[in-house]
Formats: sequence, C-alpha cells, structure tokens
Amino acid sequence: MRRETQNILLVLLGGALLKIALNGTYLRYVKPSQQIWLIGAGLVMVLLAAIAIIRDLQLRPRDEKADLTVASGSTHGTPSSDGSVTTLPDVATGSADGLDEHDGHGHHHSSRSAWLLLLPVFAVFLIAPPALGSDSVNRAASRSSTQAGSALFPPLPPADVVPMGINEFANRAAWDKAGRSVDGRKIQLLGFIVKSGGDTFVARLSIGCCAADAYPAKVKLDGPNLSGLANDTWVSTVVVVHPGSADKDTDYVPSATVESLNPVPQPEDPYEH
Amino acid sequence: MSTTTDIELPAPTGRGWRVTSLEVLCVVLVVALLGQQWIAGLLDDFPALRTGSTVFVAICVQAIPFLVLGVLISGALAAFVPASLLEKLLPRREALAVPIAGIAGVALPTCECAAVPVSRRLIQQGVPASVALTFLLAAPAVNPVVLAATAVAFPNEPGMVWARLAGSLATAVIMGWLWTRFGRAEWFAERALARITTNPGESKWAVFTQTARADLVDAGGFLVLGAIAAAAINVAVPKSWVETLGGNIALGVIVLAVLAVILALCSEADAFVAASLSALPLIPRLVFLVVGPAIDVKLFALQAGTFGRSFAVRFAPATFVVAIVCAVTAGWLILGGWR
Repeated sequence: MRRETQNILLVLLGGALLKIALNGTYLRYVKPSQQIWLIGAGLVMVLLAAIAIIRDLQLRPRDEKADLTVASGSTHGTPSSDGSVTTLPDVATGSADGLDEHDGHGHHHSSRSAWLLLLPVFAVFLIAPPALGSDSVNRAASRSSTQAGSALFPPLPPADVVPMGINEFANRAAWDKAGRSVDGRKIQLLGFIVKSGGDTFVARLSIGCCAADAYPAKVKLDGPNLSGLANDTWVSTVVVVHPGSADKDTDYVPSATVESLNPVPQPEDPYEH
Repeated sequence: MSTTTDIELPAPTGRGWRVTSLEVLCVVLVVALLGQQWIAGLLDDFPALRTGSTVFVAICVQAIPFLVLGVLISGALAAFVPASLLEKLLPRREALAVPIAGIAGVALPTCECAAVPVSRRLIQQGVPASVALTFLLAAPAVNPVVLAATAVAFPNEPGMVWARLAGSLATAVIMGWLWTRFGRAEWFAERALARITTNPGESKWAVFTQTARADLVDAGGFLVLGAIAAAAINVAVPKSWVETLGGNIALGVIVLAVLAVILALCSEADAFVAASLSALPLIPRLVFLVVGPAIDVKLFALQAGTFGRSFAVRFAPATFVVAIVCAVTAGWLILGGWR
C-alpha cells in the first residue's frame, strides 16, 4: 500500500474517533471515562499522518534515493506521488521484481492488512451502529451477580417514589433477604422494552468497559396495556415489586406491578455502569 | 522495521497503465457511499448483524486508544532509549531477567493491545525475546487497574485478586523461561526482528513519529481483524450454555478457558463478566481471568501481524495451556481447594 493511502486511512480513522467522541455517540460503545482517551487517540492519529504528509511534501523535490536513507528505514518506498517515482528503478518499472523484493521483507503482507482499517471507518461514518438493545438482552444469559447479604444494600431514602437503576433493583429484589428494602416501595426505573415469550420486560444493559462485555438486568412487567409496546421503546416506569418473585425458578428476574409507564427518549448514556 | 512500501497492483496488461492503492481507495470509498442505504437496510433486517456491528465498533473504539498509547511508547523506546541502557538495566542472566520483566509489567497499566508493539520494540532494541515476551504477558494482567477491578467485582472473595496476580505472573514467567529453553529466533518474521537503521543526521523526533506511525499502520489492521472475530463470536455463541455447566470443575475450566479466548474482553472488564457467571465454581472463573489477558483471538491476530504467523501458532497454544495450569494451581493453593 502506498504511503499516501496509509496516511489517508489514518486521518479517516482518527477523524472517526474524534467524531464519535465529540458528538456523544461514543456512549453507545464504551463507558464515559473513555472519551478523553478517544480524543487523544484521534488527535495522535491525525497528527502522525499530518507529520508524514508534510514530511513527504518537503522531501519530494529532492533526489528520491536520498529519501530512502533519510527516512530511517521506516520508509522503504518512495514518499512521492505517481509522477516522480521514476528515479527508483524497481518501482518505476512497476515490474514483478520490485514487488518481490518487498515481499522478501514481509512488507507486502503486513501492508495489505492496513486495508482493514477502513472497516471501523465505514462502520462509524456510514452505519453508526445503535446502542445494544433487546436483541442482546434475549441473547445473553440470565445474570445473578451479587451474593446475598444486606450489608451491600443501604436502606432506601424515605421519598414516595425512589429512582433506581434496573441492575440495582433486580439485585435488591433477589438478594436483599434481610432488609427487603424494595418490598412495597414505589421504584422508578428507566430502561427499554423487551418482549420475550409473550411477556414484557423492562431492561437495561450494564457495561464494565465496552459493549462487548455488556450484561443485562431485566424486570418482568405486570399490568394492563403492555402489549402495545414495541421492542426497544425507552420507557420511564414506576413499579412495585412482587415480593419473593426473584428466585431460582425465575432465574432471579423479579416481576413487578406497573403503577405508571411513559415512553421517553433514549438517554444520552444508554448503559448502566 | 517493516512498513510503507509502494505496492502497486500490477496492471492487467502488464505495462503502461497502473492502479495504485490510492485509486483503489477512492473506488472503495465511492462504492461504500453508494451502498450505504443497502447496508443500513441489511442491519435493520437482521438484528444479529446489528448487534454484531455494535460490538465490533465497541471493541475497536475500546482498543484503538490503547494501541495508540502502545505505539507511542514503542516510538519513544526506538527514539530516546538507547539499546545500551536497556542492557545495563537488565540482569545479564536471562533466567533472572525474566521475573523482573514480569514485575515490570505493573508499570504499564493498560489493556493487552498496548503491550504488543512495546514488546516488539524491546526485542528490536536488543532485549532478549524471553524477557520481552514475559513483559507482553504480564503487563495487561498484573497491573493495579486490573487488580482493583477484580477486587470490586469479587467483594466477598479477596482471594481472587491474589490468585489472579499469582496465576498471571506465573504464566508470564514460565512462558519466558520456556522461551529461553525452547524458543527460536527464526520463528519471528523478519520484519519483527529487523533493527531500525537510524541516519545520523536524523532528529530523534523524526524517528519517534515515523516509528509510531509505521507501528500503528502495521498493527491496526490486525486489531480490526481480531475485533471482527470477537464480535462475530460474541453474537453467535449463546452465553446461556455456560450457565448449564453447573458445578463440574474440569468441564468448567475447559469451557471458560475457551470462552476467554473467543470473547476477547479487555482485561479491565473481564472480572465483572467472570463475577456474573455465578453458577460456576471459583476456579473456572479464575481460569477465565488468567487466560483472557494472556491470549485471545484479538491478541492472536495482533501477534501474528506483529511477530509473524509461525511465531503466533506456537506461542499462542503454549500460552493457553500454561495459563490454564497456572490458574488452576494458583486457585487451588490460594482459594483453598476445589471451589
């Protein structure tokens, strides 16, 4: 692959990282603390490519053979454009001999792999994959992480309606056997709708690092007018848990009575952490 | 030092008109722009494809900053650290230098992607391969960030942190010693061992930027390849079958070791996934934590690209086996028996 092409690929990929980091879509893929890393990496990639481009432009008017030595052995090829390669015998003829020589150094192989850098660029600029949703909830194993023991669960504030993450709600419903902190309380949950086997769930995914390690927490909803809700609709709902519903038979998925339920826009950060 | 060659596709006619990668890139970009609607429609029709593409971008976005950090360190090593300094710092005897490299891994608190270009540069700077490879295996697994994450994920099992530390460090050091005994330099691709030839007139900053850029182009493509494999498997393998293994330790160890390889999670997050597999005993989950940072599909692709294929096909399986043995032993000793 030509050096110019590599530089363009680096600029494109660095630009893609900067784009998602600055417009907030990075939250579909990684946790918030990754933003500064993405900006840094994007800037470094664009900068490295820019330095290489400027360098090539500066070196262009000179003798091409001098370039080979000046460029620290890391630029085996010619940094110039099509028109000026004529001083390099093997490249200028475009013959198979020139290619073979590079192959002998293993260059050809590693150089070709750089084409793959286009895939994340296309994915970000053309597709912009959405945050994980109901499909990955249905794909994932049920989860029952936290061990029993109420020391992990501080008492809830005395408010009438308590907002809570779905992961915490599911954990409290299943494991807070001593405190029973959510029993009889109105809890406000924010998540998306998942339909599975005739039941309706509200679910949210948690990520530790990136979307590859996402794990779901879900609550089975019990109430009227749930059938009209489509998969992946984001809702804010106030529920009251069915005490004891999260046990081994239900894979520790609690069920709850819906007091109210309103569709809401997808939050900026679609995941819990 | 590999890199930047001008490979023109030979013209169909052999002479005269030539297609360069620059023209190919333009055509690919235009085709992709025209085909955007079609691709987007495809994702709507197949939810699995959509989930897979999200996971693919997530792994890339997560790993690329660490790779960038790695190539910057690699470039700095090439430009600012003379080979003689490294030789002075390390004990002359390899057998002694290997464990020191393992402990030095603490100093690079990043995911595994950063360690690959750094350890290659160490080899090029004259550090024995066994020492550099120990560093490669230790850095992602024994650093404070990863150990803290493990402690948070297993609040009731403080032993897991120590077992993970011991298992990973043992894996790295044993692999280093094994390389001293059995490793052969010819397994490395030529490009991996070639030293940088520095021109006396060249500024150190130029060497730094050129090396970092070349390493990035080299390794980046392989990282993407690994991300594709990991994303495909992430979607295709239903995690529910892991839960059905129940309490069988031997089966659990094998399955979770394989799972660690194919899921390719980053070492800072894998503890939370291991904690979530609560139906399984602790030792298989420890195996998951020790194997994952040492070898997975993403790392294999990176290693094959950086060190060469004949290195990777030997080193990766050996790492896999050694990591399982070390994890099981550490778990049995530190966690107290089979649990």
